[in-house]
Amino acid sequence: MRDVVVFVEHSGAQTRKVTFELAAEAQRLADALGGKAHAVVVGGGSAELAKQLQNHPLDKIHYSDDADVDKFLLDPQVDYLEAVAKAVGPCVILVPNTMLGRDIAGRIAGRLNAGLTSDVTELRVEGGQVQCVAPKLQGSTITTCAFKNADYGVITVRPNAFAAAPHATGAELIALEKPSGKAYGMAIESDVEEASGEIGLEEAAVVVSGGRGMGGPQPFETLLKPLADALGGAVGASRAAADAGWVPYSLQIGQTGKIVSPQLYIAVGISGAIQHKVGMQTAATIVAINRDGTVPIGETADLLVVGDLFQIVPALTLLVQKAKAAHA
Amino acid sequence: MKIVVTVKLVPDAGAVKRIDPATKRLMRTGVETALNPFDEYAIEAALQLKERLADDSTVTIFTMAPESSKETLRKALAMGADDAVMLSDPALEGSDAVVTSYAMAQALKKIGFDLILSGALSDDGNTGGVPGALAEYLGVPGLTNVRKIEEAGGGRIKAQRETDTGYQVVTGPLPALVTVTMAVGEPRYASLKGIMGAKKKTIDTLSVSDAAIDRPVGSDGAKTEVVAIAAPKAREKARVVEAADGESGAQAIFDFLRERKLV
Ligand SMILES: Cc1cc2nc3c(=O)[nH]c(=O)nc-3n(C[C@H](O)[C@H](O)[C@H](O)COP(=O)(O)OP(=O)(O)OC[C@H]3O[C@@H](n4cnc5c(N)ncnc54)[C@H](O)[C@@H]3O)c2cc1C
Repeated sequence: MRDVVVFVEHSGAQTRKVTFELAAEAQRLADALGGKAHAVVVGGGSAELAKQLQNHPLDKIHYSDDADVDKFLLDPQVDYLEAVAKAVGPCVILVPNTMLGRDIAGRIAGRLNAGLTSDVTELRVEGGQVQCVAPKLQGSTITTCAFKNADYGVITVRPNAFAAAPHATGAELIALEKPSGKAYGMAIESDVEEASGEIGLEEAAVVVSGGRGMGGPQPFETLLKPLADALGGAVGASRAAADAGWVPYSLQIGQTGKIVSPQLYIAVGISGAIQHKVGMQTAATIVAINRDGTVPIGETADLLVVGDLFQIVPALTLLVQKAKAAHA
Repeated sequence: MKIVVTVKLVPDAGAVKRIDPATKRLMRTGVETALNPFDEYAIEAALQLKERLADDSTVTIFTMAPESSKETLRKALAMGADDAVMLSDPALEGSDAVVTSYAMAQALKKIGFDLILSGALSDDGNTGGVPGALAEYLGVPGLTNVRKIEEAGGGRIKAQRETDTGYQVVTGPLPALVTVTMAVGEPRYASLKGIMGAKKKTIDTLSVSDAAIDRPVGSDGAKTEVVAIAAPKAREKARVVEAADGESGAQAIFDFLRERKLV
């Protein structure tokens, strides 16, 4: 496992921030292993994105502008990734621990008979071997895993776990040939946007989340959004809020939603059930606003302010806005 | 249509989870097992589909688990599934996600299926990798994070799949493997009739050789190994501030953020 391959997640126009974090980490691992760091970027816009990736610490960038990638579900991505992995292998493959990344990881691990480990927050090289550190069992234990019996190791990496280290390297660009002979199974007929902007939720430096205490959909717009905007962050939610239909499921933080690890997490009207905590407990700083001083979120928070969110949040937003204006 | 739902038997969410210091594996003995909560949603989706099709479709529950956890499967049967199959063999102990997927695939090929439904995640391992790897080993298309099956039958499936920003409508051929999210609907409770009926339903057991598993499985075949286990860093206890009113509550947060250089 000498080389390290990064799977690049992007929206066509933009590369996800986590990719840059993975690139920096891939290069660090590759150096320790005595191998090369590769990136694989496929789908519409990839030629352009590949050029932008040359500003990150990578040795080789494999790309294909193939439009089929965007029309079919996962199959083309997995085929391309397999082709690159086999060409450079044995190798370790880093994939973001996002909705798409988790899908890709399972598929490519099956395809390559690889080892698979998930939601990794720290990587090490010990005796030429890659070791992966990840919180497991709802965050109650920290496990260190290594690969055995396999030429490939697939690792999903939590966004915000590593710092990006942009610098121009002039990595070699390699155009990929379309993998041939395979039929693609699932076709995407249409893509419906229910909420925009939150593609960055997992990567945001600040997340302001609302729970059942928000009482309805409007306070998410009128209370949380302005606070998140003032802090330069994104809005999230508990499952109770998503289940109530106040926000789309794409905003849900937790075990069955998104896992976030921001600099600052503000939990507003959220009790802090274990399933919610799994999604946010590695945030650097956690602030909770709750009218009940005995809620479980208090065990995870750095600061718990006991009071009515409907009074506290607007006042806080004003303070932050004023501070920003004074700064500008 | 033959619908197979894969389920995982996990330690009950309320149980204290303990790691065996020697094997570094989750200790499963002496702990109540339960159906992985996410898989109950997959069962619900299967039963809804069967009801909608209203033909001779069947729902089979499949699990790879020790035979001792057979009784947990009765719960799935009591919800309304027709029968169940277990892949049980001491040789499977210690299998990791990818080896488990391979072993499951071999058993599922034996059982046969038109549609496999799985929960998107398991409650304990939280890898989310098994369904994808399973689809690969089965050589069927995978369709993940489905919140609604619009149509299934006649060799095709059409479904709504959750994405980061909303959902996609996806179509493809059957047989296929589909994972569902909790948005498919709350799992139904077993009725008394269901519970009584479940006692008479068959639970078949396959061994490693029955399933034609011909690669190393269990710890020997596993492609990952745990080298260390530690407790997470304890967080300091929260500072608790009782806010007399909105302004003072906001000020307390603002000062705290200032202190930490977050504003
Ligand atoms: C298998 C499974 C998976 C799950 N996955 C997830 C998941 O991914 N994410 C997730 O979040 N949950 C998940 N859950 C649900 C989880 O168990 C909780 O039910 C949920 O997180 C509760 O959401 P909440 O904190 O918003 O609501 P509640 O627990 O109802 O808490 C609301 C809080 O708001 C406070 N409040 C009310 N009004 C005000 C006010 N005016 N001012 C201040 N505070 C106020 C209350 O004191 C209370 O603490 C899952 C559950 C299961 C069984």
